[in-house]
Amino acid sequence: MIRNNSIARIAVVVLLAAAIAVPSFAARGSANFTTFVAIGDSYGAGYEASSLNERHQIFSWPAIIARQVGLPICQPTATVTDVCFAVPLITYPGLPAGELVLNATGSGITQIPGSGGPAMFGFGRAYNNLSVPGYTIGAALALTGAESTSGLGQVILRGRGNEVDQALSLHPTFIAVWLGGNDFLGAVSTGRPSLLTPLANFTAAYNTMLDKLIAGAPEAGIVVGNLPANFASAPLTARLPGILLNPTTNQPVIIGGAPVPLIFDPGDGNIQPLPAGSIVLLSALTRLQQGVGIPPNFKTIPPFSALPLVGTPLTDAETITPAEQVQFATAITAYNAAITAAAASHNVALADIKSLFDRWAASGTNPIVIGPFAFSNTFATGGLFSLDGVHPSDLGYILFANEFIKAINASYDVEIPLAGIAQLFQNNGAFFPDAGPGALSVPADVAAQMTSIFNSAKVPAPPKRRSIH
Amino acid sequence: MRLFSRTWVLISALMILAAGTALGSGFSIFEQGAKATGMGGAFAATADDPSAIFYNVAGIAQQRHMAFYTGGTIINFTNEFRGDPNDVFASGTTGHYDRHTFIPPNAYAIMPIGSNLTFGVGVTTPFGLRTNWADPWVGRFSSRDANIKVVAVEPAIAWQNASGSLAVGAGIEYRRARVVLNRNNALPGSNPFNGRLSDVANAYLSSDWESGTGWNAGILFKPGTWRLGAAYHAPMDIDFNGDLTITQISTGVPAIDAQVKAGLPPSQGVKTTIPFPAMAQIGIASSAIPNWDIEFDITHTTWSRFKTLVVTGDAAGTTLINRPQNWDDTMSFRIGANHKVTDDWDVRFGAVYDENPQPTAAVSALLPDSDRVGVSFGVGYRHGPFTIDATEFVLHFKDRSTQGLSTGGDPNGVYRTDANLISLNLGYRF
Repeated sequence: MIRNNSIARIAVVVLLAAAIAVPSFAARGSANFTTFVAIGDSYGAGYEASSLNERHQIFSWPAIIARQVGLPICQPTATVTDVCFAVPLITYPGLPAGELVLNATGSGITQIPGSGGPAMFGFGRAYNNLSVPGYTIGAALALTGAESTSGLGQVILRGRGNEVDQALSLHPTFIAVWLGGNDFLGAVSTGRPSLLTPLANFTAAYNTMLDKLIAGAPEAGIVVGNLPANFASAPLTARLPGILLNPTTNQPVIIGGAPVPLIFDPGDGNIQPLPAGSIVLLSALTRLQQGVGIPPNFKTIPPFSALPLVGTPLTDAETITPAEQVQFATAITAYNAAITAAAASHNVALADIKSLFDRWAASGTNPIVIGPFAFSNTFATGGLFSLDGVHPSDLGYILFANEFIKAINASYDVEIPLAGIAQLFQNNGAFFPDAGPGALSVPADVAAQMTSIFNSAKVPAPPKRRSIH
Repeated sequence: MRLFSRTWVLISALMILAAGTALGSGFSIFEQGAKATGMGGAFAATADDPSAIFYNVAGIAQQRHMAFYTGGTIINFTNEFRGDPNDVFASGTTGHYDRHTFIPPNAYAIMPIGSNLTFGVGVTTPFGLRTNWADPWVGRFSSRDANIKVVAVEPAIAWQNASGSLAVGAGIEYRRARVVLNRNNALPGSNPFNGRLSDVANAYLSSDWESGTGWNAGILFKPGTWRLGAAYHAPMDIDFNGDLTITQISTGVPAIDAQVKAGLPPSQGVKTTIPFPAMAQIGIASSAIPNWDIEFDITHTTWSRFKTLVVTGDAAGTTLINRPQNWDDTMSFRIGANHKVTDDWDVRFGAVYDENPQPTAAVSALLPDSDRVGVSFGVGYRHGPFTIDATEFVLHFKDRSTQGLSTGGDPNGVYRTDANLISLNLGYRF
């Protein structure tokens, strides 16, 4: 015991000496959040469950950082002179369509019918959160929202310029960037390595983006983030093995001592068994349940005989073979190396999103424990991801934002408090009214729902005016 | 007979009032008389009013008149919890007690018998705890409200030698106590229907009034202008039986509520044991300076007896709560002075340093303890058979950080507490 203590003490001394000896990294600019802007993609926009809407936009990672540094979210009625963090709010149930929700019994997923629209389209300046779902780094440098191909950029960028130019138009004091996910997500989610952004293009675009930001806002602090690199982290790519499961037991069917591979068509009509280690994307789930991917010789064998599409192969877009997995992993590793190098050469802070997703990838067996709660990446019930299987939940975005806050705190020697999950308590609206700048107001219907379902509140809160601030 | 029945009325009333709060280390309450409190609680070697039954039972032997002495301490807390900005559970939250005024009472009667013996009865509130967090309270999954009420009745007898230089005394303490614990249970993950975190049940544990018996003893040595006193209160375990009432809190989602309902333990009878510590106090006092009594005391409390808080349910004999405490013994240091200004008036000063018994890992919403320092100022006034003692006592608790060691429903952060105490006692000497 004594010996261990001595060793521990020595270790502490050595570590302290090392800490003193290594000068801490000081990033460019300062942590001045007077004018904070964010550029990014769907994660930055707060896209969840296949929808972009006000209920989740206020949980986008940039919006959470804004609240943690004391910037209120702009009301829909805000004017250009208001000091607030402008988010391109989209009314519920959102765009491009309503969000996915569990049905009443939890037995399936349904989509909220209808769609929403921009709530502050006429806002007279660029939004502070310029993240556009689907945008690659190249798109963030090119699309202005005026193009027919600019997707949700039409309501976020509004033809006023690309993400980078609009960010600079606000004369930002601090810029947060998370881009690059869509440079591989399209390829991964359709199992097509050909859709990966070539590394040279990626590297050039990333450096161009930072060059432009620094040239346009030389005094601004900047933080960027690296990319998830683990297929097991998101439900889309984590859950479904490429082997035949008994639909009653969910256990692999073993024939001749080995599992039975599903069949797929790699795109050339040459139907073949999926190589061992292949991933079937979650997006194929509905078709799997109808028998797709099950070899034709099971057509007459119960219980598979009851499924209508036995014998139909999975498509290339529904599968990721081991060879493709290597291609993706290699590409993402190279992207991350490019981001790390670009961050270092431009002297900007780097948030370690890769490690966050590595922890999420292991969360099935090693849950993310926060206070009395435990979360995992388990689809629909784990809590980290929304029902589209790719985009985080409100909770996931809070943890995402905290990685950026940690990077800012470390690089600028500031103490921005981490965003707490207490804001997700159902009694938040009624019970956390004075939590200061970090307090969150939610749309009235959500607040009413939260209030009504938290029965331990003795007095129901009066209906609130529809407000977001 | 009449006096006896009145006494029991008084005791019953005091039991209702007894709503404790931890003012001494752990959940002890050392303020059991306004004069003693005015001297910072350094009273073991003085013990010259009926509150000696609590502070040093030998002290009643030197009091040769039948007397009553009764009063209480108005305790007012200001407290705040501030969530650790690096803790994703608690960051951004604050908390405070909903109820923060408490009045632990005390009452004593002494009666000399012959020329060397004195018999006395004391009713005190030697322990007590109330941590009653106001909603919204992030730590409600650990504790919303904890309430330990204690009242002690102690018949005592003391003897002194003919010269009065040596006295010894002892008493039997009959202690009654009740425990209430109240907390919420949470859905273990987020609600998949709305992505929110949900309270799903309230667990309210209320014990019956249970009792235990212990003893105390003291010695007082007064060879001249110096006095030495020592007092000892024996440890005591009280076993509690009670009821755990589980009330489901709807999440608003029937599918979840049905699952929760199936998984909730039933309301049931419960058992727990609270180990109360032994307290040993020694004091040295001097009257060398005319009209001044100056005393210094050290108190040792065996809080290390409090290893775990275990609540067992009757339903399946299962352990419902098991919270390691692993407390340490504590020392407190008290210095006090009583200055006789006129024949009628005394003024008093005192200072206290009181260690807390909790290792950091045990600091919780249930009882966030910390070392505390206090200063007191008091006055005493005599008029004929009447005595009035009044004391103002300011107690500052050092900020107590959980240092990131809290887990589960206990939030990480810093607990800040201050207390202001006003002790009042009225005495009547026959």
